[in-house]
Amino acid sequence: MVSLAARILRVPIATVTFVDDQWVHCRAAHGMPVPLRPARRAVSLCAAAIDDDGACVVPDTMADPRGTADPMVGGDPGVRFYAAAPIITADGHRLGSVNVMDTRPREVDTEEVKALQDLAALVMGELELRLAASRIVAAERELRAGAERLARTLQRTLLPPALPQVPGLRAAAAYHPVSADEIGGDFYDLFPLDGNRWGFFLGDVCGKGADAAALTSLVRYTLRAAAVYDPDPCTVLANLDAVLQQEHSGSGTPPPYCTALFGVLTPDPGGFTVTLAGGGHPPAMVVRKDGGVEAVRPEGGQLIGILRDPHFAEVSTRLDAGDALLLYTDGLTEARTATGSMLDEEGLAAHLAAVAPTSADNLLAMVHKLIETLGEGVSDDTAVLALSVPVR
Amino acid sequence: MRHDHGLTVTLRPHSTRIQVLAVAGDLDHHTAPRLRAALEELTLAPGGALVMDLSALTFCDSTGISLLVAAHQRAQDAGAALALAGLHSDIAHVFTIMGLDRLFSFYESTEKAIPALQ
Repeated sequence: MVSLAARILRVPIATVTFVDDQWVHCRAAHGMPVPLRPARRAVSLCAAAIDDDGACVVPDTMADPRGTADPMVGGDPGVRFYAAAPIITADGHRLGSVNVMDTRPREVDTEEVKALQDLAALVMGELELRLAASRIVAAERELRAGAERLARTLQRTLLPPALPQVPGLRAAAAYHPVSADEIGGDFYDLFPLDGNRWGFFLGDVCGKGADAAALTSLVRYTLRAAAVYDPDPCTVLANLDAVLQQEHSGSGTPPPYCTALFGVLTPDPGGFTVTLAGGGHPPAMVVRKDGGVEAVRPEGGQLIGILRDPHFAEVSTRLDAGDALLLYTDGLTEARTATGSMLDEEGLAAHLAAVAPTSADNLLAMVHKLIETLGEGVSDDTAVLALSVPVR
Repeated sequence: MRHDHGLTVTLRPHSTRIQVLAVAGDLDHHTAPRLRAALEELTLAPGGALVMDLSALTFCDSTGISLLVAAHQRAQDAGAALALAGLHSDIAHVFTIMGLDRLFSFYESTEKAIPALQ
């Protein structure tokens, strides 16, 4: 812009300056070193220029009282000719000026003055564009932050504030978000069914952010409602599948899906029988009283909500006194270890065998520590639900 | 973790019946539209086959999985076969946990997939 001004006016020096209460700041310069030091407003020609309505022209600074105190006139480079057009906002604020200078006195014609005014208007246009753009960016950021805040609030409502007390069982759960800014779609719950049976589930909805949170809400309430209707674990997952398939039929967006484990706890004098159904989810792990670790795997269960005729599988196990069961989302098993490989079921099982946690609380503490150790290797949220039968 | 490797999709017709679609890079929310467009342009005929060469696929998120499932359903509707070739073991493992090994045919490589589809 300044070199254009210099070329059009055929002068060696051009600047764009902005003026505040006391100082004149140079923002761009041609034919002068940048940055120029701010000049005192009281003595600067540029300050005189912005008070001029149209353009300020000083053909010879030696013959004009306005120029005598300006350091660029008296000192280096010894300005003799000065012309400027003010930069004025749409609502009349004078921000500064586009200035051209020469070391010899000279005259300007009206065409040249008009060109200088056009350049000042161009600078203003450019400023307004940038201002508008930064306002749009700020507004967009604000909207996004609002949406994320809403999603986080929503997520808090998606996870039960406290797990219910189940007679003869210790239950504990935790959510490990990988980022405070973006929420994932992990969910879990434990709730009473008919008679003395209990239902529990844990899963992961695809995607992140507000959409995932809304979907998580749908999944969680569907699972609870389906379990009341018919608590058979595979039937519960099949009902969830039907609801999710319904949800996206006809819409152009990628179909949402989830993975989940759904289980039913049936108490008996020694502990609980656990029936566990799975849809596309990593297996649960049980740590036996003697320290043995087993995967509880509903073999062949598929993704929920996206496949034609999906298959859901069911498996049973017992939890006796001293046994502990761990359900987790893939944020844990897909985390990278120090060697760069995935932790995987094998890594988790080895860790469980080494630590041998005997209660739900110990299990949770162990996972917490493991996630801390994995550090940057964890790239996704992890939810964990642990159930154990206390030794009397 | 950041995934900004981009995605390249290259169609390599193998024969009148078999087409090979090579997908390289990160398949995620941002890059999925590229693959979706390439898949939509394909003509899948009854008895035909599509081999997706995923040997250079470095990452696949939930959008990518949705897209592959949709591709499978489209092939199924058209009476064509869909094979996934050269999938990285970590991604294949995740697909297996999701029960997708019951849906897709996995092959070690495109070279091994083609004779199986002849």
